[in-house]
Amino acid sequence: MPGPLDGIRVADFTWVWAGPTCTMQLAHMGAEVIRMESMRRVCTLRMLPPFAGGQMGINRSGYFNQYNQGKRGIALDISKPEGAEIARKIVAMSDVAVENFASAVIDRLGLGYEELCKVKQDIVMISMSGYGRDAPDSSFVSYGPAQVPLSGLSQLTGYTGEQPMHVGMSYGDPNAGLHAAFAVISALIYRERTGKGQYIDMSQWESTMNVLGEALVGYSLNGVQAPRNGNRVEDMAPHGMFRCEGEDRWVSIACGSDDEWRALCNSMGRPELVDDPRFRTLADRKANEDALEATIEEWTLTLGPFAVTERLQAAGVASFPPLVNRELNEDPQLNARNFFVEKEHAEVGVRRHAGIPWRMSETPCEVWRAAPVMGQDNEYVFGELLGMASEQIADLKQRQIIY
Amino acid sequence: MPDRALEGLTVVECNRTGAAAYAAKLMADLGADVIKIEPPDGDPARSFGPFPNGDRHPNKSGLYLFLNCNKQGATLNLSEPKGRELLDRLLAQADVFVHDFTPREARSLGLDYSRIRGLNERLIMTSISPFGESGPQRDYLANDLTLLSAGGWAWLNGWPGRPEMPPLRAYGQQTSYQAGVNAALATAGALFARLRNGKGQHIEVSARECITSIIEFAYTIWSYVETPTARWGQRPIHPIDMFECKDGGWIFALCVEEHQWQALVEVMGTPEWATWEVAANRFLRASNWDALRPFMEEWVREWNTDDLYRAVQAKRVPFAPASTLADLVDSPHLKARGFFVQVAHPQAGNLTQPGAPYKMRSTPWEIRSPAPTLGQHNEKVFAGVGVSSQELASLGEAGVV
Repeated sequence: MPGPLDGIRVADFTWVWAGPTCTMQLAHMGAEVIRMESMRRVCTLRMLPPFAGGQMGINRSGYFNQYNQGKRGIALDISKPEGAEIARKIVAMSDVAVENFASAVIDRLGLGYEELCKVKQDIVMISMSGYGRDAPDSSFVSYGPAQVPLSGLSQLTGYTGEQPMHVGMSYGDPNAGLHAAFAVISALIYRERTGKGQYIDMSQWESTMNVLGEALVGYSLNGVQAPRNGNRVEDMAPHGMFRCEGEDRWVSIACGSDDEWRALCNSMGRPELVDDPRFRTLADRKANEDALEATIEEWTLTLGPFAVTERLQAAGVASFPPLVNRELNEDPQLNARNFFVEKEHAEVGVRRHAGIPWRMSETPCEVWRAAPVMGQDNEYVFGELLGMASEQIADLKQRQIIY
Repeated sequence: MPDRALEGLTVVECNRTGAAAYAAKLMADLGADVIKIEPPDGDPARSFGPFPNGDRHPNKSGLYLFLNCNKQGATLNLSEPKGRELLDRLLAQADVFVHDFTPREARSLGLDYSRIRGLNERLIMTSISPFGESGPQRDYLANDLTLLSAGGWAWLNGWPGRPEMPPLRAYGQQTSYQAGVNAALATAGALFARLRNGKGQHIEVSARECITSIIEFAYTIWSYVETPTARWGQRPIHPIDMFECKDGGWIFALCVEEHQWQALVEVMGTPEWATWEVAANRFLRASNWDALRPFMEEWVREWNTDDLYRAVQAKRVPFAPASTLADLVDSPHLKARGFFVQVAHPQAGNLTQPGAPYKMRSTPWEIRSPAPTLGQHNEKVFAGVGVSSQELASLGEAGVV
């Protein structure tokens, strides 16, 4: 059975992480995604580690290969007029165009929405720039890691009384990519019902602020910048990371109710704590949180993180160790659900990558192929789809329009 | 002709964690009619805050107010057979059912797809759960913190040089937002397929897998080179760092490409340290960052945050400030974009909320109504499935509505 976007073709002008995350979702759903890549400005991700075997190479990056699974790839210099002309031909055969250059760069390449409409009247196009179009800072340069502080997330994240933190990964990128994919599919639904395509102007900054909406509404209610408070939250206690036996070993524990707290006390072999006046209600536990955490840590220090989690889950308390990548790889749940994808890649062979976090019963989604090596689908796209003769392809190669 | 992308589609939502509510919000803001079914004591988000001046009123929770604009709200006690029957009647007429009950709760409520499908073959039922509906840990309990942990994100956040400090959560409910946006986009995909094949289907979303699928290169650094990740990720290139400025603000210093670093060096007045061999490229700067960092820190401290931001951006260097909430609300750029929206809520008052995550030119994202007060639309929602106001009153007395 084909995926839900079977028959949809995507002209993919994206690079780095945000745009490719969007188009990967479409590929997961069975769309044919044709990623156009430049050799003059090789995608940042191709040049970042980890590299298979520790050897740098444009086809060897695990970072790139993770987020370009299931796409076709061609090597085309769209900054040259003839390259842009070929790109327009690809758009003419496509349903969707996606780009994430800085705002309006795509227009200067002759590949803006108005131009694309001339070759494909009902195209759905999304621009995913850092700042969005037509405003004072629209031309600013942005990458996903900078969206974390820019969005306000850093000022809200951090240890109690200490400086704002990054969140540990370039969260603005995948978050924008996923929101963009939702907008694109919604636009395809509209097109299917009305015959009309449209243009979508997305700002990665704005999509990132949507995932801290409660903080902004809270500011509107209170005028208060919520303080950084480590792993603690207002509505639950205990709620934190506790040190376990071993070096740098931790476990997370969260109790939402007095019943869960009681279950935790019993699991710790400390039933008397239930009646300890310092800890009786949520308000008591919040008021004595340092002592609460120290008491729990006395217990967790005697056990490994997985042993703590097993006991607490059996007793009805939410807990999980903060997994390091090796533990994700070995995780029984992820493996039982066949979450990881192992496909043969043309240069680095079979490597494991994270897969698709949803399952559909009627239109199954799958990664049909590993990420493309540079120019892997030149022949398919230029020859088979565009019908170019081999001499013509050779000529374009010689003039470095295609590579 | 619809002028909203998802106009005419009816979505029934049952929210527990924020994930189902965010998925339904994304659809509501593009024009879907969302019927939000809450237990009689309200969606748990109503107790989450932030609240105005500590007033823990269920109609004044910041999280609830943000997640539930554009929805009709009705209450239903699903532990009563009559409550489940009314939900069935709503599902029989709906296009989408999105919920985030745990697999165990869903089973006990009779919400298995094989039965639901019998009510409505065209329904798309999207079930969000912490760990997915299969596998040995499917019934594990979870919240945002434990899912950030299980997903592999929590381990990445914190100070690399301070092992006494624990792995750290990101602010808010990020697993719920990620599960929500994944659920929304998968649901939209299934709606698209239904336009062509006429079929409904079941989608299951694992919140934990939503995190594991976005942790940058943290997973592949194991599957490619068997290197364990460290706190604040592995930063293979530099600068990627946060510094305090003269005015007490914080700037995020970032150079991804070499030409950006060279432009930054010029802005810095080409200091000697920046020309040393140990700073010659982004990988060397990463290896030697402990030694280089103090020089950059000293230089940054001479600047006010916004001046530095604008000075380096003028040279196309991708720095960004660590915005406070006030910075965002007051930003001239965001004002020019018309980003924030004003929403008047009957009890919480006039709110400034984040606006469109994307501007769709032909089918605008829009807020049409504030979040519902508890049970606000009971009459209208249940009239839609043939419940008279008399019957509704007796259901109210019986504790069903």
